[in-house]
Amino acid sequence: MSDENLIKGLKAIVGPKMVSTSPTVCESYAYSFSLSIDWVTRPEIVVMPTTTQHVSEIVKLANRYKVPITPKGAAGMTGHGGPLHGGILLDFIHMDNILLIDDKNMKAVTEPGCSFFKLAQELFKKEMILPTAEYGPGPNVAASAITPVNGFGKTRYGRNIDLVEGFEVVLPTGEIVQIGSMAYAETDFGPFFRYITGPDLIGLYTQSNGAYGIVTKIAYRCIKRPPYWSFFTYYWPLEKIRQCTEVLQETTAMELFDVHINDKWKFEGFKFLTGVSLVPDDCYFCVVFSINGFSQQELEGKRKTVEALCSDLEGKELPGIAESFFDAWPTFFCPPTHPVAAQLADAGYKVTKGGYMYMYDSMNYPLSWFPQVYEKIMEIAQKHKIHGPPRLTVFDGFPMKSQVMCSQTWAFVNRKDPEWMQAIHDSKEEIREWFGKRGGTYQQCFPPVLPDFTWTNQESAHALLKRFKQFLDPNNILSPGTF
Amino acid sequence: MPEFRTWNLDQFKDWIDMCLHCGACYARGPIVPHNWRELPPHEYAAPHKKCPPFEYFKFKNHSPQGRQILASLIFNNRYEIDEEVIRSFYSCTSCAMCNDICIPYQPLYTVLAMRQEIVEKGLEIPSRLKKITDNIQSSGNIFGRKKHPKTLENFSLPETGEDIFYSGCYATYLQPETALASVKILKSAGIDIAHLGDKEGCCGEMLKQSGNMKLFKKTAVENVEKLKQAGAKRVIISCAHGYSTFKNDYTNPHVVGVLPFEVIHITEMIASLLKQGRIRFSKNLNQTVTYHDPCFLGRQGGVYAQPREILAAVPGLTLKEMGRYGKWSYCCGAGGKVTLNAFPEMAKETAKERLLEARAVADTLVTSCPTCLAHLKKTAETEGIDIEIVDLSMLVATAMELSD
Repeated sequence: MSDENLIKGLKAIVGPKMVSTSPTVCESYAYSFSLSIDWVTRPEIVVMPTTTQHVSEIVKLANRYKVPITPKGAAGMTGHGGPLHGGILLDFIHMDNILLIDDKNMKAVTEPGCSFFKLAQELFKKEMILPTAEYGPGPNVAASAITPVNGFGKTRYGRNIDLVEGFEVVLPTGEIVQIGSMAYAETDFGPFFRYITGPDLIGLYTQSNGAYGIVTKIAYRCIKRPPYWSFFTYYWPLEKIRQCTEVLQETTAMELFDVHINDKWKFEGFKFLTGVSLVPDDCYFCVVFSINGFSQQELEGKRKTVEALCSDLEGKELPGIAESFFDAWPTFFCPPTHPVAAQLADAGYKVTKGGYMYMYDSMNYPLSWFPQVYEKIMEIAQKHKIHGPPRLTVFDGFPMKSQVMCSQTWAFVNRKDPEWMQAIHDSKEEIREWFGKRGGTYQQCFPPVLPDFTWTNQESAHALLKRFKQFLDPNNILSPGTF
Repeated sequence: MPEFRTWNLDQFKDWIDMCLHCGACYARGPIVPHNWRELPPHEYAAPHKKCPPFEYFKFKNHSPQGRQILASLIFNNRYEIDEEVIRSFYSCTSCAMCNDICIPYQPLYTVLAMRQEIVEKGLEIPSRLKKITDNIQSSGNIFGRKKHPKTLENFSLPETGEDIFYSGCYATYLQPETALASVKILKSAGIDIAHLGDKEGCCGEMLKQSGNMKLFKKTAVENVEKLKQAGAKRVIISCAHGYSTFKNDYTNPHVVGVLPFEVIHITEMIASLLKQGRIRFSKNLNQTVTYHDPCFLGRQGGVYAQPREILAAVPGLTLKEMGRYGKWSYCCGAGGKVTLNAFPEMAKETAKERLLEARAVADTLVTSCPTCLAHLKKTAETEGIDIEIVDLSMLVATAMELSD
């Protein structure tokens, strides 16, 4: 691996200052943002390309030496991942340019290391937005598309990958190709449309862990930013879960910006840590609505419609929650900058002695199945004694207009307490088995980070993906272990 | 949130890394997007580049996040301190921008704790820092000069009094004109200022920054005792580093604790005297300047408004801010004098970037820290960057026509 000629070759491509084999440097890249797993793999070489041509030359060289390459972000959330299997880790932090913001056709093209926060601000200046939660200050714009996590948050519009329209990709052979709207990027029309004359190739690269090629440019579809916004919350008791589900189904079908659901355990955690209760005693499910409009009249009309629906289905208004999340500065988009988050981190530390983690991988299932899935999650959590304080299994749901629920369930964990750790892992395995049998799919992590049984409910599709992999990457150098 | 500033090494060793690895502390670009209605206000509008050592060395081990990872591993006996680890922890400029971004974890304090661990394990710290430690012990100043400062002798200042001017190593030995200007201003405003003279010793900041907490504590206790014996009620400091050391580090209960006197930076004093009408300007300076917030006065001392109030009061002076100012001011590169000594090339490159940023908006850069002043001046000279660099006290003295 540490073949001197390989290192020399890499340094010749990107410059000597952009390559490191130092164990200490590599150790600092071994970790991922992911909170659900302890996937720690130290790369043997960290390389920082600054151009697509660099990436192409690196891939060719890696083929010659049969060294694995992971684009940073392929193991973890929103672009902060370490490598899957040693070898070369490409860090795209220095490829962070925004290449195009087209406010007439509502498109944006960036390099892979651009952050969502940076893109979001530049779009905002042109009265545009990406209809996602736009989470993340790191180099994550491309990473969130190639990793299954699809970004940290979703909105009613869907996941980040639903907004991707084009890629520039360096294939495992080192060839550079443009697919989707990027195929038109250099023409008079620009990157206007996801579909080329033929099959849609974008899908081979989204949620791929970078196994079929390395993304070096990415095109996103944006929307016009409405100037009027309102954020508000309604709540339901546990026994009204059916009515709550109906509201989710109805409102995600409307032209709202976002609908988001949490259970009361999110707030019980705050109460447990601080003694302050943020929600009434009869509150179990909290649904936050984010609505917008191009006029005050439109905004008020939408709000009245949603409020009437919630009231009809026995919801009660809960002022303050949504407003504190979005309206006030600082927002909660970057928790480390938030003083309340800081206080919670301190209080949480006293209980957990080291962070929280997501308990289950984020899961996708029909929105209509929310009551059954929720009930099962909590049943398993109770069985393994991670329900309620201090372990606090918290439900975090993103219903989408496709009538699919993306949800993640997390719990606090004391990493120094083996019994506590084991309880969480046992819960995780049990829910996966139940969920997988019903056809559920995962986001956030794939094999090799997760066990292979991730694929058991989609065997023929997985077999085809494996064949693609063998064809495109015969030396199996790009993010090996996924397909 | 945890009072990391006052934590001892054992507390850090018990601490498990809770970093989310979000990258806000060093990654390029904003730390928040927008709130759908507006872009973030200045308080949350972090600059594109944040961490000087990361920008210079490129790799994450030279970033707050990378250091958090390494510290957590080392404190949990999962990784050994090697030469690269030492480089990673001593390349930090202590500019504290990461602390302002990441409120829960305050990464700078982990860096300082790891430096302490390195020293207590008897490992080799960068040689120039070791030399400075020796200088402080043998001569009472970081330069190893003989302990007879001539800087203020023409004033025949008393060695005792309620208001004591603490000049510090840089202003005493390297930038005496800043100390002279400060004393002239104070005397002109009717302050009966005293100075410890030969008895004044180094504040010990470099000991703390190097990780030698035992010697730092000893130095701090001695300094406080000397000032107490001299009758100090107010200690006025023109050095941002000395100011932060007295105000933030001496007050740590594990060092000295509550001080028997008030600690005031010269800019706070001048701003206060201006408000009282005890300082009057007689000369129109007729120039456009920009102000460089020293890290140890701004982020570490919370003094942002007073220097600007002073500049606003000087006749004919227009202040034009750089893109990165106030809370988001970029380090000059001297880095608590640690990077200046341990990584001079990085210190120069960082200063160059800051000087070019200043040059884009004004012909004159004003600062209020003799270390920043000396380092920026030297870099401007060696790099041929055409910009005048002045200390705020000197500028005030000029506008008061006290200079000659």
